[in-house]
Amino acid sequence: MSEPAQEVTIRPLDELDISAVVGIDEKISGQYRPEVWERRIGYHLRRDPDSCVVAEAAGKVVGFMLGEIRSGEFGLDEPTGWIEVLGVDPGARGRSVGRRMALAMLDYFRTRGAHSVRTLVDEDRDELSGFFSSLGFQPASLKPFVLSL
Amino acid sequence: MSMKTSTLPKPYHQAVRAWQDEYLPDFDFLLENWEKHFPTEPKFELCAYRQMGMCTEIECGEMKGKPKFTHAAEMLPEQAHHLFAAIRAQASTEFGSIQQHRLTLARAQEEEEQFWILRMMAEELRHGYQMLHLLVEDDWSVVSQESRSDLVEGILSMNTGSHLLGAFNIDFDSFIDNVVFCGLVDRVGKYQLSMQKVSAYQPMAESMPQMLREEAFHLAAGVVPMRRWVTAAAKGGTFVTMADLQKAFNKWIPRALEMFGDERGGGTNVRFGLKPMKNSQAQAQYRDEVEKLVRDLNLRYLRALDESLSPSAAEALLERLLREGGSSEGSGGTIRAEDLLRLPSSDYFRRRGVPAFRLVGAGGETFSDVASYLQHLVRTLPDAYRASRDFKDYVELLTAVHDGRLKIEEAASRMPSLRRVGGACACSKAVRWVVDEPQPAQPAAS
Repeated sequence: MSEPAQEVTIRPLDELDISAVVGIDEKISGQYRPEVWERRIGYHLRRDPDSCVVAEAAGKVVGFMLGEIRSGEFGLDEPTGWIEVLGVDPGARGRSVGRRMALAMLDYFRTRGAHSVRTLVDEDRDELSGFFSSLGFQPASLKPFVLSL
Repeated sequence: MSMKTSTLPKPYHQAVRAWQDEYLPDFDFLLENWEKHFPTEPKFELCAYRQMGMCTEIECGEMKGKPKFTHAAEMLPEQAHHLFAAIRAQASTEFGSIQQHRLTLARAQEEEEQFWILRMMAEELRHGYQMLHLLVEDDWSVVSQESRSDLVEGILSMNTGSHLLGAFNIDFDSFIDNVVFCGLVDRVGKYQLSMQKVSAYQPMAESMPQMLREEAFHLAAGVVPMRRWVTAAAKGGTFVTMADLQKAFNKWIPRALEMFGDERGGGTNVRFGLKPMKNSQAQAQYRDEVEKLVRDLNLRYLRALDESLSPSAAEALLERLLREGGSSEGSGGTIRAEDLLRLPSSDYFRRRGVPAFRLVGAGGETFSDVASYLQHLVRTLPDAYRASRDFKDYVELLTAVHDGRLKIEEAASRMPSLRRVGGACACSKAVRWVVDEPQPAQPAAS
């Protein structure tokens, strides 16, 4: 029986969460990619550890969300919060884990002076689009372009 | 939430810069290569940061709910004395770790890891600077008759061997120490900073958030290379073996545990609102964290050794090997229980606190005589460390304790004695602290 949603707590990510993040990614993607997450989490801990969070339930990490505040990119001069990646343990879905993490990050971005938060979602990922829409995110005028090399 | 930035008055700032030239000569090299290794990340600045908008009421202890102190003179003398000692100790550790890291920094095999450590050293310099800022900005005459110049001089003149905490008086033997120190000893630092974040002294509390942010990376600069090393070891790499890592853990964990202070103490700091946890509480939490680190490294090792292992199979195999010993055949070769990392017993190789000078082995086993215990230490500590002055001192004190020539309390309190003689620091009136030669052991009966 799954635990009630209120037992989920949010805290800043730390270096001992790498294994848990690798594990959640493995459950979602089917790939074991520790090197990828060691590098990525190392980057975020170096840059601003408070802009990344994990969700814990019963002492176990059940979700993670990585982001940062940047300015000067894509013509956006003002400090802008970016949510870059999130993952929720499939066994913990339906408990507002993603929402709680996002709200914690939005709070943090606000305290750091960001007036807007952005993210990029693939058009095919309806679930993710719905998630961000439910938080109040709206389609933006910035259009992604890509060039294959 | 805003951050206030300030610098030390010019003479003290210059003194820190002079210290940096001596002990962190690669500082300019770091800045020159910053863009290469840390693109898009704000450049390092040597300054003090204070976070504004923090809680202004004392958060724990007998004065809970009262306004925090903004000046040392407002505090009870004993309270100010404890705080002053904590700031000096914190400053000593920050500068002390740089002196240790510099010895073996150049021996790193990977440029990336070397730059991580170099950046970490620069940030430790900033942390020391932050602590000096606390000492210089306020009037500490309520607890110290030393002038500001002498306070700064005293701290900047410390060297490996004369620092206030044992972990900072031990030379590094290889780059393994740089990395393991970050993962284990900086973790104690994280606890101290987290506890000081609620300090009843507002300037101390405001100094902690930025230091904690930087400390998060310092821990990663230890843990990520260790994770890479165990992976390489599993794949047959011979640069850093599991045995090397285990011995480094055995070297540093006892000193890290002692950094929390005596297991029976810490109540005064809690009562005064300077920290929210007693020593034993914080030490127990630390030990749990290191246990998690050891487990993560072992799982990383097992899955690198046998890539067919699922997460749950790796966990089950780890449990079985740790419980039963023996070995298991994996796709990448034989997995042996003896190759797995283990957290040494809390009583192992201790010289301070409740277990000081007990003859307890890494696995918690006890020894009946010093000679057999020393043979155990020979097997469980790094070779280079056993040839050090620090280990020699420990062996002499251990022998004196077990011969009945020295009481445990006396041996445990043996620290480098400092005395002031002529010196030449850029900021002061030419005074210097040096290490005195140790006094001969006194008979236990005296």
